[in-house]
Amino acid sequence: MLLVVISLFSFLPVIFIFVFADQKSAMQSLVGAIVLTFSFTGLFASQSVYFNKQWFRFQDMLVASKVSPASYAVGLSISGLVVALPGVSVALVLLLLSGPTTALGVLLLLTTSLLLWIGLVFVGFAIGATTKNARRANSIPQVLSIALGFLPPVYYPLDRLPAIAQPIAMLIPTTHAAQLAKYYFHLIDIPASQVAIGWGYLLGFAALMGFIASRRAHWVDP
Amino acid sequence: MEVVRVERLGKTYPGGTKALEDVSFSIEKGEIFCLLGRNGAGKTTLLRILATQLKPSAGRASVLGHDVLAEPQAIRPHIAVVPQEARPQMLLSPYDHILYFCLIRGQSRAQARERTKKVMEDLGLWEHRDKLASDLSGGLRQRLIIAMAMVADPEVLFLDEPTIGLDPLGRRSVWHMLRELTRKGATILLTTHYLDEAEILADHLLIVDKGRTAFLGTVEEAKGDTGLGMRVIVEPAAGNGSAPPEVLEPRSAEEILAIVERGLREKRKITFKPASLEDAFIKIVGGSIEVEDT
Repeated sequence: MLLVVISLFSFLPVIFIFVFADQKSAMQSLVGAIVLTFSFTGLFASQSVYFNKQWFRFQDMLVASKVSPASYAVGLSISGLVVALPGVSVALVLLLLSGPTTALGVLLLLTTSLLLWIGLVFVGFAIGATTKNARRANSIPQVLSIALGFLPPVYYPLDRLPAIAQPIAMLIPTTHAAQLAKYYFHLIDIPASQVAIGWGYLLGFAALMGFIASRRAHWVDP
Repeated sequence: MEVVRVERLGKTYPGGTKALEDVSFSIEKGEIFCLLGRNGAGKTTLLRILATQLKPSAGRASVLGHDVLAEPQAIRPHIAVVPQEARPQMLLSPYDHILYFCLIRGQSRAQARERTKKVMEDLGLWEHRDKLASDLSGGLRQRLIIAMAMVADPEVLFLDEPTIGLDPLGRRSVWHMLRELTRKGATILLTTHYLDEAEILADHLLIVDKGRTAFLGTVEEAKGDTGLGMRVIVEPAAGNGSAPPEVLEPRSAEEILAIVERGLREKRKITFKPASLEDAFIKIVGGSIEVEDT
């Protein structure tokens, strides 16, 4: 229950934007909050990976059992997502009540977010498996969550950034996911080439992080 | 029947640290096999290799007839591990910990509930079943970790310093439980720093020092091999109270008589003590301590 409440934290900025800005901005921030909820649950898998391996030592107990590395990884990742689902559901209901949208729009928003989540789960596994102390295991994802969530144009539109900062923002995967999600909810208009680049970036990011995680995270230690 | 076989096993970590070198032994079904050694001697490395958690870099090891490198999947359903310094999740109850491990081990919900109750009762945890793990004492937490490993009813149980932090009664209940398990046919490999524990439990023991075999055999052989049948402590003569007592290790009746005669002559107090495993352990690894110190 506590974790469900914590998962709602990424929706807090939406309240401020709703109070101090117009409805369209609030809608954009709501979409951004959904994207970030997925990305945070993926990134914070690093804490579960670290604590299960180094602190509780449950991973060692599970290796010496019938549990497969794939089922462990999937179970650990999805458990974070399940906790976040109530918050995401509330946000989706608010979005659907706030304006016209299609089932395809919702589906593409969730697909984009899931693709980003997969990439960041891999980041989480790579960090969690290589971190050697609890302080870093807690602080690294928190610092990254600022760099990935609160600084780039996820809650707010990309064009609010100075022109010089926009290409830098496009290096961050959450920007692409947020841009695509807002586009599919008809909140922004972007050219087809940018849509293709966005999908390509997210796919490439997930593949690259998957490769790195596979080299870093071990079921049987080398 | 041979349950564990280790042949010329070696482990060098990717950073270059050599943790094990040329270690060989076997464990028979129903045995309690103790691994002893100083900190960093390679005990945990050896245990983790046998529990399929760590890859060896030389030699071979098999558990229940299956090679740890080639067929770990065939070994894993039949073993369980109590890792060193494992901790329970603070916000879960002992009951939930054990129940979830039953489910993870593939038991049905009904089986899992039944097994959880049985294991908790056996380990004296039932009365604490609904407390949060954060409210348990250190000893109860350790017992909970052991219980989580026990749910599988494993054929081979690997325990890495399982009684660390337990009070004397808690240790004895774990010893009793381990003996019960071996009576039912389980084989146990445990590492410990408590030499009294090894002395009471071990059918065979392996002392590793700097990754190499320093001794392999029974407790009695350990004492015998080092010539330690008996220790004689000769207190300092009256008026020389600050001098340390002499600790002698007579190897024959003549030597014992000579010590007694000298004690009577010099009016010194003499105490005879049977040698302990601790004495043998210090004798076996003591040489390397001296070499390190110089």
